[in-house]
Amino acid sequence: MQRILERMQADLIDALGLAITVHDKRRDERPAVLASLGIGADFADAQLSGIGGPVPDALAYQVPVLSPDLWTDDRWPELTLATLCDRAPHHESSWEQVRGAVAVPGVWADDATVVVCCTLSQPASAATVASLITYEQLVSAALITTAAENASAIADIITVLQSRGAIEQAKGALMGLARCDADQAWKMLRRGSQEFNVKLRELSVAIVEHISGAPAEQPGAETPITPDERTREAARLMWAALSEAPLPQ
Amino acid sequence: MTNSQFQLFAAEAEHPPVVSATGDIDLANVNEFSDVLNRAAADSDAITVDLSDVTYCDSAAVRALFAVAATTKLGLIVPASGTIVTLLSISGLDRVATVVTRD
Repeated sequence: MQRILERMQADLIDALGLAITVHDKRRDERPAVLASLGIGADFADAQLSGIGGPVPDALAYQVPVLSPDLWTDDRWPELTLATLCDRAPHHESSWEQVRGAVAVPGVWADDATVVVCCTLSQPASAATVASLITYEQLVSAALITTAAENASAIADIITVLQSRGAIEQAKGALMGLARCDADQAWKMLRRGSQEFNVKLRELSVAIVEHISGAPAEQPGAETPITPDERTREAARLMWAALSEAPLPQ
Repeated sequence: MTNSQFQLFAAEAEHPPVVSATGDIDLANVNEFSDVLNRAAADSDAITVDLSDVTYCDSAAVRALFAVAATTKLGLIVPASGTIVTLLSISGLDRVATVVTRD
């Protein structure tokens, strides 16, 4: 997934952020950022927190959503420069450069949807949508392929984790849960790994397994990262603690 | 191979080619729709798509229209209200195409 994003970034030279968000409705979970670059994850998380924006609209209506000028777009009155600077101040200079955004949805399994979103420092155009449609097909194909090979949705995510960025994925999940930024999520993971004395990489896999609710056994995987029982318990405790904690405002 | 559901009218004088669609546009026939759009756009830098007699269109049609708008100046003729108008405004296609309402 990360490789696809890197290719997209090379293609879309004005991109400030890219994100792939997945929503598996069968599991009744909130949409989560699967992979991102730049301000992509913060942008997607903010929109999904109730502010609204191209990503939730693309998920809800299953149509490509284009905004030539994001901050002045009357479709999402709450999605403003001030709100985003407030939520993710470490990206302030990037938020100030944002002009257009595009989100393109796809379906990769029954009731499992994906949205590819990009934010640009230039007004977004139909050409941006056309380009993202191509990449959405690539992303969906990758998701379908892994799903077919591994037979269960969790296996896809695990495969993605194995190929690249196990930690990134868990960070994304933590950012979604605790509504924090990437740095804070990273610190949480590191602290969890130290406190429970488990490998950070294995803890990351265990967290993703835990939130997907699927059995940890993955007979199909070639070189699985298999967290042991202790690591899984650590992930479970960590997730439970964060789920119960009041969200920072 | 003529398809009565999508008709292409050649450009005339100042007017760009017009693609006129009727009925439902969905996954079943979106490829035909795309083909006609591409043919219309092939030798013109602007096209008009008349959707005023379309009874239903979904994401597939929106994608096809975005794709053609990427390379061509797109004009749309739409009914005054209904799902097509809603779809255009949700997707933001109305912000990159020139939309004319016909009632």
